[in-house]
Amino acid sequence: MSSPRTIRFTLNGEPVSATIMPHETLVDVLQHRFDLRGARESCGQGLCGCCTVHVDGKPVSGCLFLAVFADGARVDTVEGLARGDALDPVQEAFIEAGAFQCGFCTPGFVMMVKQLLKEHPEPTDEEVRHYLTGNLCRCSAYPEILDAVKLASARQAEAARRA
Amino acid sequence: MTGFEIVEPESLEEAFRLLDPEDPAVRPIGGGTALMLMMKAQIYKPERLVSLRRLDGRFSGIDIAADGSGFRIGAMTTFSMLEHSPAIRRHLPVIAQTMKTLANVRVRNVASVGGNLAHADPHLDLPPVWVALGARAVVVGPRGERTIPVEAIFEGYYETSLANDELIAELEVPVRAGWDALYVKVTTRAAHDWPALGLAVSAELEGRRIRDLRLVLSAAVDKPTRLAAAEAVLRGAEIGPATLRAAGEAAVAETEIESDSRGSAAYKQHLLRVHLGRAIEALAAKRV
Amino acid sequence: MARTASRNIGQSIPRLEAREKVTGRAEYVHHLRLPGMLYGKIFRSTVPHARIKSVDVSAAQALEGVYRVVTIDDIREAIPHPYYGPAFHDQPILADGKVRFAGEPVAVVLAADPHIAQEAVGLISAEYEELPAVFDEVEAMSSDVLVHDVLKPAATFPDLKHLAGRTGTNVALDYHLLRGDPEAGFAAADHVFEHTYRSQQVMHIPMEPFVSVADAADGRLTLHTASQSPSFVRIEIARLLGWPENRVRVKVPYLGGGFGGKLYIKLEALVTALSLVARRPVKVALTMEEQFFMVTRHPCTFTIKSGVNKDGTIVARTCKVVWNGGAYADIGPRVTQKAGFTSAGPYDIENVEIHSYAVYTNRPPCGALRGFGAPQTAWAYECHMDEIAEALGMDKVAFRRKNLLQNGRPQATGTIVQDAALEQALDQVADRLNWNEPLDRGDGRIRRGRGIAVGFKGITAPTTSVAIVNLYADGSCGLYISTVEMGQGSDTVMAQIAAEVLDMDAAAIKVVHPDTDVTPYDMGTLGSRSTFHMGTAVRLAAEDARKKIAELARELGLPEGSNLPLPELFRRKYGMQAGNIIGTASFIPKYEKPDAETGHSRNATPFWGVGASGAEVEVDTETGHYRITKLVNVADVGTALNPKLVQVQLSGAGIMQLGFTTTEEMVYRDGQLTNGSLADYKIPTLLDIPPEFINEHVDSEQKDGPFGGKGAGESTTIALSPAIGNALFDAVGVRLTDLPLTPEKIFRALCEANGTPLAGE
Ligand SMILES: Cc1cc2nc3c(=O)[nH]c(=O)nc-3n(C[C@H](O)[C@H](O)[C@H](O)COP(=O)(O)OP(=O)(O)OC[C@H]3O[C@@H](n4cnc5c(N)ncnc54)[C@H](O)[C@@H]3O)c2cc1C
Ligand code: FES
Ligand code: FES
Repeated sequence: MSSPRTIRFTLNGEPVSATIMPHETLVDVLQHRFDLRGARESCGQGLCGCCTVHVDGKPVSGCLFLAVFADGARVDTVEGLARGDALDPVQEAFIEAGAFQCGFCTPGFVMMVKQLLKEHPEPTDEEVRHYLTGNLCRCSAYPEILDAVKLASARQAEAARRA
Repeated sequence: MTGFEIVEPESLEEAFRLLDPEDPAVRPIGGGTALMLMMKAQIYKPERLVSLRRLDGRFSGIDIAADGSGFRIGAMTTFSMLEHSPAIRRHLPVIAQTMKTLANVRVRNVASVGGNLAHADPHLDLPPVWVALGARAVVVGPRGERTIPVEAIFEGYYETSLANDELIAELEVPVRAGWDALYVKVTTRAAHDWPALGLAVSAELEGRRIRDLRLVLSAAVDKPTRLAAAEAVLRGAEIGPATLRAAGEAAVAETEIESDSRGSAAYKQHLLRVHLGRAIEALAAKRV
Repeated sequence: MARTASRNIGQSIPRLEAREKVTGRAEYVHHLRLPGMLYGKIFRSTVPHARIKSVDVSAAQALEGVYRVVTIDDIREAIPHPYYGPAFHDQPILADGKVRFAGEPVAVVLAADPHIAQEAVGLISAEYEELPAVFDEVEAMSSDVLVHDVLKPAATFPDLKHLAGRTGTNVALDYHLLRGDPEAGFAAADHVFEHTYRSQQVMHIPMEPFVSVADAADGRLTLHTASQSPSFVRIEIARLLGWPENRVRVKVPYLGGGFGGKLYIKLEALVTALSLVARRPVKVALTMEEQFFMVTRHPCTFTIKSGVNKDGTIVARTCKVVWNGGAYADIGPRVTQKAGFTSAGPYDIENVEIHSYAVYTNRPPCGALRGFGAPQTAWAYECHMDEIAEALGMDKVAFRRKNLLQNGRPQATGTIVQDAALEQALDQVADRLNWNEPLDRGDGRIRRGRGIAVGFKGITAPTTSVAIVNLYADGSCGLYISTVEMGQGSDTVMAQIAAEVLDMDAAAIKVVHPDTDVTPYDMGTLGSRSTFHMGTAVRLAAEDARKKIAELARELGLPEGSNLPLPELFRRKYGMQAGNIIGTASFIPKYEKPDAETGHSRNATPFWGVGASGAEVEVDTETGHYRITKLVNVADVGTALNPKLVQVQLSGAGIMQLGFTTTEEMVYRDGQLTNGSLADYKIPTLLDIPPEFINEHVDSEQKDGPFGGKGAGESTTIALSPAIGNALFDAVGVRLTDLPLTPEKIFRALCEANGTPLAGE
């Protein structure tokens, strides 16, 4: 019946494999097999976004995603954003806007905002609020998160203009 | 949440072999969002999950008929595919409108059209919309295939008419010229929440006269329910305060709404009256 | 305030730990795994009050992969008297013969795989002999149903000693204050008003759920725990084990939120016992759903009565405040006293009488939560103020201003108020709301209104903080403190304070996180105390280090003011790069224990927390749905040591309180929590942030605070709920007395007022 299975996937650009049990979620596997801490389980019910990772370019809740289904997929986590010491512009914007307190929700928000800005490079307030309603921050850094999104969007637009 | 296997058949025949008509511990899995919640809560303890993700052909894709008369939507289509499909946005804008407040981006990226219907939670937002649109589901099983109106899937609270080894393969959704639709999600505990009541309306209007319509209530009742009596009041009628009030009363009279954590029966009945009227007015306003 | 420019104080220095947090690398106990570690999963009671007849663990024990199932009998092997708590030693590590709330831990499964442990929990069953239960605080005051047979106060609080051994009551603590002659005041007053208001049970919901890891071996214990009070944990665990404190080591990395929940002792006693029993490291990490059974905020019923003269002067006030403490006292008795003594509000009233009661019930325990009772009391006294002003036909701001406590005047305890910018805060809110301009009140089904409120709180006292400043041989600096960085920005602010004294950059200072083997005592990261208490200790420790540098220079025969760089001093002293300078200091503010009978004290609090709020709302009178279109919070934080961090504390606390006001409530049926998950217990999201949301601090100074600063983390929780309740009244003319303010309650009240009441609930 329940037996281990080897899955292969691309993790932050690197091909990797892991032998896992069918019940393991993607957060379980990222934490326990790859020592990645960015995606973390909080609500465990898809509601808070602390466990956000991208699977084939789309954000999903790692807590509800059975790792088996990552077989053959491209998985990107917050750990893949920075290039060496250079943070991603979204990460920088979060720091500049002071968009977090305890930081537990932050990687999830950052990963969501990455995708938000891909889909809406210059989002309206309304778009941001709806896109990020599924991310909870109990420290309630929400106003600063709105600022961070605007900042990152402006930077991105500026960079695009220069390029 | 341990002690189960996951199988990923690549053909329908294989899938039917792996499913089990009798054993409730064997189930298909689509996006898995609903199943995972039940498994984590230990409400559901599977022994085998049959993934539908490798089933090709009819289980995936969104196609519009050559004459534009309707859509075929594969059961494994995710909500975000629907939400972002230009054809759907153009011909069935109510779907994109419903998606905006349905769960969240991450859930929409994995939840499937078929899993959503088979889950039969009366609080789901999309089923009443499909019913209002007159959508039909193509159900396949080892004993053959049948096409049924979406409302015929639901038998009650988390209960469906599907056999344990039957699968929803696709949806057929008509696009009816001259019709317009709207979904109202009424939440009472917080802005972003499961609905206290969901109200889907599709109608064919001629100015302020209602030629024909379908009214569907969900969340406050145990399955998406056509409001036949309210429809009868409105069908052929001119939109006005008295008619809307009469329709609201008819809707309340024909449904059994019970108190729950989202509101007392009396309050939800009142909300039904108010929002039914407002929904019709909103549709009329869109038309003019 | 005219201060000379500083590169540290008053600067919005970014958080020192910012990079770790945005990259996901920050360390939380959540992530910790130790070699050989077992996971504990908890089997919980399904009934609110019962004698346990039997617990059958055999099936769980037999499941492959289960290491051991533990009940109270096993715990006793390691800890013979397994009862803990900060105020009362009333909470058993696992249920001991009785369960007192639905959700109470009864047994624990240990396994190397947490999924297996969880699976095994499902195989445990218990048989209960159910007992009648009591859930409502007012009922519990006089109920025959007793939650505890006998009161067991902890020795740590001498003022609770007289309660030891008391039987036949659910009242864990009663606090009283009497000033003047209220009865005479009422008799003489032109009007007397009396109202009752209720606050509901809510929960902290830190995004990092409660988690602790214990590693006991060879007569030593290391606890890695998401705790706001590592020093207290060490003391309490040492007491439970009968060990000296130095054999218990408590380490706390970053916390994924605390808000008062992770205070005192929570999972630590349990993991300690489990690790001793299993002889392996053990981790217990609660799920989000389980958090609701750990600790919550007190529901509260508050009856307030005021005698008021025609001109609006309040001449007498009595307060009866009943706090629902749940099944175990936790820190509830302190909430009862601290929020009790300010429960008449920030007003100058001749005759005051206060009775405040901590009551046991069969609900999950209640403890400290952001505001320490002040928000519940302000909900009552500030709604009451509006009802009085309304009846007298007075302007709501003018009525408050007329009665407001001014600096230099005695508060109800007799303590002279100092550095409390009450009037400034109230005025600033009124200004931001354009209070003197008319409001567009709407017509038809949409109605608008606005409301205002002000409140204050005292600070837990007397409490101690100790700090160590360690200057290394190259001149760099480590700051050793047991203040827990849980998002409030303490690492940064403490570094700013030390840096200011030592004349360096805050960012260059390394703040060493709590590790009781290394960092000195601190009472706890709680109740807005860190900036004031630990901030002062840090300032003094840094000054001590400077003094020692000067001494070293003198010892080396250097002339006064030679200003040789520190590394050079060390080189001269030790002949190489070696040595340390250790500055240390402790701080305990002045305090006078209130008189047991009258509640009088000349020094009841180290400082005052002050907050005022204002709201504009828009109500759909057909449904009761409403929108908060504008929300203003103004706090007195003294000098803002780091304005950006202050700003986010004010807005964060405000949004949390917004949840407690509008949506959050733990709902029960027959003593069972029915909405214990984020799917049904709704906390604020981005969609709930009002379109206009203003958070400010007044220009003020806490003269005895470090560089003029004081705590900021709670002030905006105090007055927010009544501001919204008052705005709703202003909009539609109905008064809601019970939180949270839901659309259905508003609609029901409207129907009631129209004489067409809605059918039963
Ligand atoms: C955080 C969160 C928030 C949510 N909020 C909302 C909301 O606001 N509104 C809303 O409407 N919904 C909401 N949902 C529910 C969501 O819509 C459903 O979970 C989802 O639609 C189920 O689809 P799935 O593909 O994930 O189903 P699965 O979990 O894969 O399956 C659900 C059920 O359907 C069966 N099944 C799956 N596919 C098929 C098939 N093709 N044929 C037959 N049987 C099948 C499974 O065996 C199972 O019984 C929320 C869910 C989450 C996790
Ligand atoms: S932990 Fe996955 S969404 Fe909350
Ligand atoms: S920063 Fe603490 S939860 Fe968001």
